[in-house]
Amino acid sequence: MSDIKADSKLDTSGKCCPMPIVDLNMAMKKINSGEVLEVIATDPGTLTDIPSWCQRTGHTLMESEQGDGVMQFYVKKS
Amino acid sequence: MKSLAIVVREDGYDKLLTPLAFAYLQGAEGTQVDLLFVNWAVKALTEEGAKGQVIQGSHADQDGWVRQQVEKAGLPPDIYDVIQALKSTGNVNFYACSLAASIFGVNEDNLVPEASGIVGASWFLNEKASQAEHCQYF
Repeated sequence: MSDIKADSKLDTSGKCCPMPIVDLNMAMKKINSGEVLEVIATDPGTLTDIPSWCQRTGHTLMESEQGDGVMQFYVKKS
Repeated sequence: MKSLAIVVREDGYDKLLTPLAFAYLQGAEGTQVDLLFVNWAVKALTEEGAKGQVIQGSHADQDGWVRQQVEKAGLPPDIYDVIQALKSTGNVNFYACSLAASIFGVNEDNLVPEASGIVGASWFLNEKASQAEHCQYF
């Protein structure tokens, strides 16, 4: 369990590529710079897609966790 | 990636999914995506053609199952709805190849409003494909 306090949450459980990244792009547009978005995913593709997306877009992947087929990412908006 | 050009030749529900999913990914991220529909695929740029896309050949009997899986994955199960979702990103342009449009009966009257028009392949290849950072053919 992460200690990071997220400002908002995006649950993409059950969705597969391309939707988690499509939804992540939309969710990030709705939050302010410096705020943290918690992303829940079950698509294993997000394990590579979300870190790569953060690197490209300049947002910070603060932490990621996984267990029981569920992935959690904490992304801070630049 | 700043720009992506995609040429779509293969029609059929399942065969259109990959180029559309790639375009959706990149369009949502802010990449300028330009798609040229050629050959039979041009019919997907009409409302009737988009709604009529089915899985063909040896997988035809799995059409319903695939649509359920697509919906479960979070995508609209109808090709025309996917086209509309891509357009809503503001970064995706659809073009119909003029030769294909002429052969397969697509014109300005039946072209979906989400399409940017019927264009010559030369224009697309020179102004979009050759200028794009990445180009894909499906």
